[in-house]
Amino acid sequence: MTNLSIKEKSIKEKSVIEKPIIEKEKTLAIINSKAPYSNIAGKDALDIALIFASFEQAPALFFQGDGVWQLIADQNGSLISVKDYLKTFAAFEFYDIEDIYVCQESLNARNLSASFHIEKVQMLSKQAFAQQLATYNSILRF
Amino acid sequence: MKKLAVLITSPPCSNLSVTALDYIETALKTGIELVGVFFYQDGVLHANKQVVIASDEFQAVNHWKTLQQTYQLPLFLCVTAAEKRGLSDEQPENINAIFTVAGLGELVELTNKADRLVQF
Repeated sequence: MTNLSIKEKSIKEKSVIEKPIIEKEKTLAIINSKAPYSNIAGKDALDIALIFASFEQAPALFFQGDGVWQLIADQNGSLISVKDYLKTFAAFEFYDIEDIYVCQESLNARNLSASFHIEKVQMLSKQAFAQQLATYNSILRF
Repeated sequence: MKKLAVLITSPPCSNLSVTALDYIETALKTGIELVGVFFYQDGVLHANKQVVIASDEFQAVNHWKTLQQTYQLPLFLCVTAAEKRGLSDEQPENINAIFTVAGLGELVELTNKADRLVQF
């Protein structure tokens, strides 16, 4: 289901076996600020999201700036020989990744409508977006 | 005692390396416990022994080495990000020995151990 390499999986599994106890749960937000196909930042963020989720610590995902392009439907990376990692977003439900926020102003600035390729995306104003973000213990930005 | 974890996603040629090292060293000197530093994305290039920075420029790797040796600071390298950039633990001669090859699961653990996670 994930796009992790076999080696990553084996290391992950090993670490699960050796260190089974993660004492306290912290909340994590991941900001996606880059367009999907110009670099691998979005894929790197996705890998982190899925790993945290597989440790039953599903992060919240925030899409802002050019990052909002990652949510837009009907894109085809294979036309430019880029692996379409956006397809994996369909697995969010399976991973219990349910808190997905997009910045309304970022969509407006790019003249994009709210036609996303996944469900449960919540649109927030700039202020609400910032307020929501401030409720997490840790924030990573990609 | 407050605990700190750091995620490095910028390469050694970035000036953010200076900020990150300064931040970490100051935290350690202040008595804050560093649970570990995790290197991801281009950050893994810090572990590449083939990277040579001109001698009159900031030598990030020397500072990592000093911190690692002085404070037993754990430096974790994401294996997937490393392999994508030509660093494989099957050719360990390319990887600086002060770094430990790890999976992303290590980042989950560091995040949970720490009171604060800071990304550079």
